[in-house]
Amino acid sequence: MNAPVIVASPPAAASKWRAILQSALWLRIGLLAAIVVALEIYGRIWADPAFMRPPTAIFEALRKEILPEPKVIAALYMCVAEIAAAYALSILFGVLIGLAVGASRFSRGAFFPIVLLLYAIPQVALLPLVILMFGLGPAAKIAFGLSHGIFPIIVNVVAGMRDVKELHMRAALSMGASRVDIVRYVVLPHMVPSLFTGLRLGMTMTLLGVILAELYVSQGGVGYYTRVFAESYNPAPLFALIGCLAAIAIAFNELVRIAEHNLTPGKRRTHALKASVKE
Amino acid sequence: MNDIAISIRNVTQRFGGEGQADSVLALDDVSLDIRKGEFVCLLGPSGCGKSTLLNIVGGLFKPTTGTCTVEGRAVNGEPHPDKIAFVFQESTLFPWYTVIENFHIALKFQGIARTEWDDRAMAALRAVGMASFARHYPEQLSVGMRQRVNMARGICVGTDILLMDEPFAALDEQTRMVLGEDLSQLLAATKKTIVFVTHSLAEAVFLSDRIAVMTARPGKIKTIIDVNEPHPRSPDFMLESRFSELRNECYALLRDEIRATVAAQRDPQVAGS
Repeated sequence: MNAPVIVASPPAAASKWRAILQSALWLRIGLLAAIVVALEIYGRIWADPAFMRPPTAIFEALRKEILPEPKVIAALYMCVAEIAAAYALSILFGVLIGLAVGASRFSRGAFFPIVLLLYAIPQVALLPLVILMFGLGPAAKIAFGLSHGIFPIIVNVVAGMRDVKELHMRAALSMGASRVDIVRYVVLPHMVPSLFTGLRLGMTMTLLGVILAELYVSQGGVGYYTRVFAESYNPAPLFALIGCLAAIAIAFNELVRIAEHNLTPGKRRTHALKASVKE
Repeated sequence: MNDIAISIRNVTQRFGGEGQADSVLALDDVSLDIRKGEFVCLLGPSGCGKSTLLNIVGGLFKPTTGTCTVEGRAVNGEPHPDKIAFVFQESTLFPWYTVIENFHIALKFQGIARTEWDDRAMAALRAVGMASFARHYPEQLSVGMRQRVNMARGICVGTDILLMDEPFAALDEQTRMVLGEDLSQLLAATKKTIVFVTHSLAEAVFLSDRIAVMTARPGKIKTIIDVNEPHPRSPDFMLESRFSELRNECYALLRDEIRATVAAQRDPQVAGS
């Protein structure tokens, strides 16, 4: 909309280069590179190889000891499947319970404090009990991921439903909206940004839950291999495996972020704005 | 009496039970007739119950005692979206829908056939000069543009009666004047009956056929002032001496009420009486 003003000052190509040079991206990349180089120097010169290896050795271990090893790859796949299952269940039950709790002032008053109470419990203390109940297989990991992931989703769904503006409700009522209409066209769309806040937090918590359970006890899972590598004082493949877990975590978080970007009316708005400026 | 669109009879509104500490008498025995095609302003100090009265007419509140009939049908705390449309402040546009989707949803709630949605919405948008912004989200528009769209949304549903609850309160003085002119022109074209709540003296004089000046809480109708000036009104009307005289008359009537309101806010015991 203000495009003429911006284009008028410097030539377009020059301003584009300046924009690239001034972006925070460079500082970010530089900072990461500096950390890797510092680790490399420290790892090669001072570090005890039983506890720490430089990044190049870790990358080497990833290439030679992790990726060609079908059992480790199978363990990583299993981990991804556990996270996906735990997260899917967290969303399903989190949204359903959230909608039920947030449905009215009465249900919120009755159930929300209980949800917050459960949310406040440090669940790691219950991990041995979860393992006893669900065994050493994937079920325990999924259960522990679910119990972590579900709470932020419930809490944010309830919060999103609670904050509907009085003026929007009155406007909808005056237009002749029924109770069902109000829920479908006012309360639910209003809740979407808050829902995604919950989904993002829920993703982080699900990852935490699954990986905690994996590390605590595991037969041939990622947890098993981390222990094998750690106990044999072989940090290079250990760090490579942890790097794989980090990559999985980043991938899942990105998925949620992309979904949020495309499904939130508020985010779609910025898209529409860019499109209209181009016209 | 067939030309009466809205008839308010002895309406009293009390919030909270009588005799309780938090009980507030918002309206006290208000009666008012509004003719078809008339533009009536409810003017009063803040908190005098003018919005409450509007909500009673619109069926959003049920009066404690008294009756309100709209086109011969009693309104008793039930909205009549086929007869009455509301226009609130611009922030009542749903931010998660585009401009056109906001119209669609209003027409849908109203129970109007889907095939008519686009035609009606675009006609209303053209009337306020916003047709090229149909696919924008409200947040991409300026406050004045949003209020234009919001007015058009109230008009597109095609009711005979439009209730406007301080629609321009969030706008700056200049935008407010421009939108006032637009409204005056729109209304001259549509012949709707309008009840308009405001605390702006100039707005009331510029837009209304009649101004109902209300007292401080509990709200009563203090006086009704006639403004004999045909619609659509041009901004020149504001420069005429008659405009200033009417405005001053309103101010003289309101001054004591505003003082009473401020005094009541200082001392809660007076407010509770």
